Amino acid sequence: MKNIIFFAGLALLIFWYLSFSASRLDRLHHRVETSWATLDSLLQRRAAIALEVARSAITDPATSLLLTASAYQARSADIEDRSSAESVLSGALGMMLAERESIVAKSDQALLGELEQLSDKIKVAIAIHVESVTRTQLIRGKLVFRLFRLAGTAPLPVTYEFEADAI
Amino acid sequence: MIDRKLRIGIVCPYSWDYPGGVQNHVRDLAEFLINNGHHVEVLAPATESDDLPSYVVSAGRAISIPYNGAVARILFGVVANSRVRSWIHEGNFDLLHLHEPAIPSLSLLACWAGEGAMVGTFHAAAKYQKAIVAIGPILEPVIEKLSARIAVSESARLTLTAHLETDAIVIPNGIYADNYRDGSPRQEWQGNTIGFLGRFEEDRKGLPVLLNALPIISRFIPDIRVLIAGPGDSEEVLENVDPQLRNRVEFLGKISEEDKADFLASVSLYIAPNTGGESFGIILAEAMAGGATVVASDIPAFADVLGNGQYGSLFESENYESLAKVVIDLLRDQAKREDLANAGATHAQRFDWSQVGEEIFEVYELAMVSGQKVSLSSENRSWTRLLGRD
Repeated sequence: MKNIIFFAGLALLIFWYLSFSASRLDRLHHRVETSWATLDSLLQRRAAIALEVARSAITDPATSLLLTASAYQARSADIEDRSSAESVLSGALGMMLAERESIVAKSDQALLGELEQLSDKIKVAIAIHVESVTRTQLIRGKLVFRLFRLAGTAPLPVTYEFEADAI
Repeated sequence: MIDRKLRIGIVCPYSWDYPGGVQNHVRDLAEFLINNGHHVEVLAPATESDDLPSYVVSAGRAISIPYNGAVARILFGVVANSRVRSWIHEGNFDLLHLHEPAIPSLSLLACWAGEGAMVGTFHAAAKYQKAIVAIGPILEPVIEKLSARIAVSESARLTLTAHLETDAIVIPNGIYADNYRDGSPRQEWQGNTIGFLGRFEEDRKGLPVLLNALPIISRFIPDIRVLIAGPGDSEEVLENVDPQLRNRVEFLGKISEEDKADFLASVSLYIAPNTGGESFGIILAEAMAGGATVVASDIPAFADVLGNGQYGSLFESENYESLAKVVIDLLRDQAKREDLANAGATHAQRFDWSQVGEEIFEVYELAMVSGQKVSLSSENRSWTRLLGRD
C-alpha cells in the first residue's frame, strides 16, 4: 500500500515538473517571438529611412548606391542571413552618419536625427532579442526538454549576431 | 514610439523606512515617470504612515534578516505574497519594473506571480559566490520571465552573467545633476581640504584607510584638513587618531542637500575610500556634478563611474600608502585638479535623470507587447483555483 502511494506521489510530482517545464519553455518561445517582432519592425523602419536618405540630396551618388543596395539586401534577406545583411546596412549608415556635419547643410537634419535615435533603439532591441534566443536555445538543449520533446513542433529560434561597433 | 500614458508598477524589495541606494533610485525613477505624466505605483515594504508619498503602496512591515553578509530589510511570506498578487491583479498595469528580483523579497514574488511585460533591474555587484549559483535552478525559471534586464553598472552585469547565465543592458543610476551644480564655495571649507561624506562609522565606507594615511599626508602638506560630513559618533573615531593630528580632523555632522552642494564646491578633493559593498558609486556622480575633484578606491563600481581614472583619480583599495600618494600629488598640482574636476562635471551629465530616464523608458517601450496588460501568471491561477483560494 505504502509503495502505491509513494509511486503515485512520485508520478504526480514528475507530471507537475513536466507541465511546469513545458509552460516555462512556452513562455520563452513567446518572448522570442515578441522580441523578434519588435526588432524586425525597428529594422524595417530603419531600412525605409535609409532608402529615403539615399533618394534625397543628402548623400553623394556613391553613398546613395551603397545605401540603396544594402537596404534592399537587408529587406529581402532570409531570417538566417538577416543579421549579417543588417550589419552591412549598419556599417553603411555609420559611415554616412560619421560625416553628418560635412554633408548636410541645414535641411534633413530631422531625418538623420531620427535615424540616429532608431540606431540606439535597435542596439537595445538586439541585446534583448539575443538574450531571449540564447536562453531558449540553452533550455531546449537540456536533457529533460529533449527527452520529453517539450518544445513540440516549435522551430528552434535563429541566432542573431551582436553587431560590433558597426552602428 | 509610445505617446499614451502608461500605468507602471514598480516593486522595491527593501524597506522604504530606511534610506538606501535602491530606494533612492526607485523614488527618483517614480518621480521622473510621474513628471512625464504616467501613472506610477511603487510597492514596497513600509510602515503605514502619513509620511509615505502618495505613489507608495505598503506591502507590510519589513523583516530584518542577515542576507549576504549584511542585514537586509526585506519582506516575503504568505501574507506578502497575496498582497503582491492582489496589487498586480487590481493595478491593471501596462508594465512591471522589478528591482533586484534575485533576492528573496517582493520583487521575486512579483516576478513569480506576474505575466506580461516585465523589466528587471539588477543593482548588486558581488564576487562569485557558490551560494548564488546553488540557488540558480530555483531562480532561473523566475528570472527568465523578465522581458528585459537592466544592470546598473558593468560590474553588476558581470555579476549577473557569472551567476545566472543571463545578459543585461547597462543603464546607470540617475542623479539630478542640477541640484549640485550651483553650490557656492564657502571659505571655511576651502584651502587644502579633503572632504568625506557618509556614515563614517561603517568600516566599509573606508574612513579608517583615510585616517591611516593622514600622518603621511600631513608630513608633506602641513596645513591639510579633513572634513567629515555625515551622521555618527565622532569621539570614537578620534580615539584612533594621533593626538597631534586630531585638530586636522573636523566633523560637520549630518548636512542638508544644499550644504552638500556647497561642500562639494568648496573642498579641494572629495574622497571615497570605500572598501567594497558598493553596487554603484552614485555619490561619485553627485560629487562630479558638484564640481569636485574626486579621489576614490579602485573597487569595480567606482572605477566604472570614474571611467577608470579619466574623470577622477583612483587608488588601490584599502592601501593607505597608495591613497596618500594620490592625495599629495593632486594637492600639489592645481592644474591637474582642475582638469579632473572639469572632465568630471561634463561626464556627470551622463548620469542626469533626463538622460537615464529616457534610456529606461526606451527599454519599457521595447519590452511591451502591444496592448497586453500585466496579468497573473496562468500556472499560478490554476494552482490557486485548485487550492480554492481565489
